[in-house]
Amino acid sequence: MKRQIPLALVFIFGWLMLALYFIPLEGAQKVNENMLDWTSIIGIFALALGIWSLITVNLDRIKHKKRDWQYSFITLFGLFGMIIFGLKFGGENSMFQGQESYMFRHFFNDILIPIYSTMFSLLAFFIASAAYRAFRARSALASILLIGAIIVMIRFFPFVAEYTRPVADWILNVPNLAAKRAIWMGVGLGIVATGLKVILGIERAYMGRD
Amino acid sequence: MTLQSRTSRNAFWPGFRLAVYGMMFGIVFSSSAVLSQEATAEVDNASTMLAPMLAPAAPGNVTVEDAPNDAGHAVIVTFSQSQAPADGQALVLGYEIYRSLARSGPWKKVGAVPSDVDVTASLIYKDAGGSDKSSDDYLPTETDLFYRVRAVTADSTLYSDSEVSAPAQAVGQWWNSGRNPVFFFVLFFTLLTLYFLRVAKQRGDSLYIRPLAGIDAVDEAIGRATEMGKPILYVLGLGTASDIATIASFTILGRVARKVAEYQTDVIVPCYDPIVFTIAQETVRTGYMDAGRPDAYRDDQVYFVTQAQFAYVAAVNGTILRDRPATNIYLGKFYAESLILAETGAIAGSIQIAGTDEIAQLPFFVVACDYTLIGEELYAASAYLGREPLLLGALKAQDYAKAVIVVLAILGVIMSGLGYEGFAKAFEAVG
Amino acid sequence: MNRKVMIPIASIIVFIGFLLLKFDFEAVDSSQALWDAFIVTAGGFLTLMIFSFLYRDNPFYKFAEHLYVGVSAAYWMCVGFWSNIVQQAIPHLSPWLSEALDQPFLGYKWDYWIPIAFGLLLLTRLLPDSLKIGWLSKWTLAFIVASTAGLLMTANLKANFISQISSTMSLPLLPDWTGFGDFVSNFDLSYGGQFIKMLSNWVIVVGVISGLVYFFFSKEHTGWFGRVSRLGIWVLMVTFGASFGYTVMGRVSLLVGRLTFLFRDWAGIIS
Repeated sequence: MKRQIPLALVFIFGWLMLALYFIPLEGAQKVNENMLDWTSIIGIFALALGIWSLITVNLDRIKHKKRDWQYSFITLFGLFGMIIFGLKFGGENSMFQGQESYMFRHFFNDILIPIYSTMFSLLAFFIASAAYRAFRARSALASILLIGAIIVMIRFFPFVAEYTRPVADWILNVPNLAAKRAIWMGVGLGIVATGLKVILGIERAYMGRD
Repeated sequence: MTLQSRTSRNAFWPGFRLAVYGMMFGIVFSSSAVLSQEATAEVDNASTMLAPMLAPAAPGNVTVEDAPNDAGHAVIVTFSQSQAPADGQALVLGYEIYRSLARSGPWKKVGAVPSDVDVTASLIYKDAGGSDKSSDDYLPTETDLFYRVRAVTADSTLYSDSEVSAPAQAVGQWWNSGRNPVFFFVLFFTLLTLYFLRVAKQRGDSLYIRPLAGIDAVDEAIGRATEMGKPILYVLGLGTASDIATIASFTILGRVARKVAEYQTDVIVPCYDPIVFTIAQETVRTGYMDAGRPDAYRDDQVYFVTQAQFAYVAAVNGTILRDRPATNIYLGKFYAESLILAETGAIAGSIQIAGTDEIAQLPFFVVACDYTLIGEELYAASAYLGREPLLLGALKAQDYAKAVIVVLAILGVIMSGLGYEGFAKAFEAVG
Repeated sequence: MNRKVMIPIASIIVFIGFLLLKFDFEAVDSSQALWDAFIVTAGGFLTLMIFSFLYRDNPFYKFAEHLYVGVSAAYWMCVGFWSNIVQQAIPHLSPWLSEALDQPFLGYKWDYWIPIAFGLLLLTRLLPDSLKIGWLSKWTLAFIVASTAGLLMTANLKANFISQISSTMSLPLLPDWTGFGDFVSNFDLSYGGQFIKMLSNWVIVVGVISGLVYFFFSKEHTGWFGRVSRLGIWVLMVTFGASFGYTVMGRVSLLVGRLTFLFRDWAGIIS
């Protein structure tokens, strides 16, 4: 029972969803569309598990005074503060209006967004160090990558750009398309193979053993 | 190829986006103004030159057929155009399509088609309505529908209607024949896989697979982590449980967890998606159980961080710099964070193994990581780590399918070269 | 006093200083103005704290990181709860709950009970191990993974696979020497002559096939097979390099643009 039911669910829902793709009837397409809604609703329940994990891991850190345990207070403070701001009760005039709360919106706009943009802008610095790493090509393949990179980079330099630009554009259009297609085809095949392994019950690491 | 980010679209550079939108709007607006000027000019010319007083000839031969491969809320209307204007007849600008549930009306205008220069050509209009009864564009299924086509001119008083069509019904189909190529491929591939599963069962794990550097490195990396007394960091990426790359990564995580448990070292798995987190917990726990050390598993090895892309990255960066894992494994779906993670790991001096099917992120992984699994290699990796006969058999089926594609591609190119376009067309899936 | 105490105190003093700078003393609602000033100052401080990571890991970064994790986790949970459960599911489940949560009741839809039931099964993981029903959560995992596997198999197959094959097949490869002279005399790949197109088609077809050969797993990559496979990985590497170089230059030119603005237009240092 413990083992058979999940496997039966896998079998039934896997083949069902596969078959629905070929059936244009209304009912079939509705189920297809509903799947997305369903997954997002289940996702919220899973999120409860996630938040529970976040809380217990941080409480555990504080309890056992693990390294940097003081910072766990900050995480918990931010978490509970935001949850409280996101509550909704007390009618129209209360401070708590769910997603519409003043504090809730402002924490998002004025705290989350600036941190987010800052993290994003770090990319510019990281790409500089990655470029430095690329220029110390350590193997034959890395050198080929470097050649591709250099051809495209000098496309932007004055004086030589006139000569290198067509080659760079050609690389970005032609071999690039070939490589993408090869990867896409491989990935497409890999996806079908993995999906099939899931539906046939060969690949089932995701649901444990017992 | 540029960096992509999942959530940046809404938040980043609103000013820039506004400017782009403004420009686009400007272009569309100015060009539409020019076009409409031209159109009016043409109409003015036509009307002043011919000074028409008579309605155009009526369009004819209105036939209605059910649209194929759908849920039964669409029909295809075909009709022949009005004859070229005779003396005094107004120029036809286009045709309006009217639908009714009865031969006598009432008529509802459902769409329009511009006229073609070649008046002998038949025109086609697909009347696709909604499936929701309460909505305005509802098109009833399995009900007699009548159609009429009206030729319209620049003068709204000059038009002429076709005969009413014979009744037709929109019917839902059981099978989408436009997707036949997909169906046949799935069928072919399933049979191929089942065949090789049987072969694999008989032959055991003696099937050859070529070495994959990134996977060979996993064992080595676990050994190194054990020697150094440092943990292994396993990042499943930003994918959800609905991404096959993530599902492939679960299997690899299971093997890694098992080996880690055997070597008595530690694996940390910070998660981004809550469902992925739940599955990852189950996977790692099973890995420890398979290694015979269920008691060594702790729930805080696999933990949920947050569902915000860069907050997650900030936290994983912190882990990389503070726990100094001996090895970082990034397998799954990655977006703009790929470079931040891989660079931080490289700076921290960890051995790094990455793999994704996101083509745009592969270059960054290739540059910053020691080993990168490219696209399909990620999907194949689970067979490598487990060496289970069944997984090897499935891999063999994958290779045979690839061989068939290579042969088909070469054949197709030759056929197209010889002028048989139909061969390539047979592989096009529509709808 | 040691650094551990000095640094936080100094930071708080600087923070209050900025807060006062941003505070609108003429505002009617002073508590509102204080909040506004606080939030703006905090946003700026957090930006600097994250940037400090570029130097190295430090307490400021740790502070921002931990706060960011907590706040964002709660934010997405609240958003998900209100939009997926309250606005999407509840109006189809219970008139009583809809009213309690200020949502219009939209009529019963039994199928919304399916995800709710699977969701509740998932929560059995939270129950103590002694009850021994945590395994019920696997039903949910099985449901999600299997149905998405079935759903994605076909959709991906069409986009990534079937259409790629058919568009590779229809590339014309017959020798066409139109424009060959132009190509030789000034090595101009941007010239749109038929010869270049034919050459490019050859590169695409050979590239795709050798790339696919590289992805063969169950055959030894030796002999001619190995050479084709090596050609495949070279094509992949050249294009990875090209897209990497393209991104690097894109980022650099953005940076150059900002610096030009800073030094020339804003500070007037270079003319």
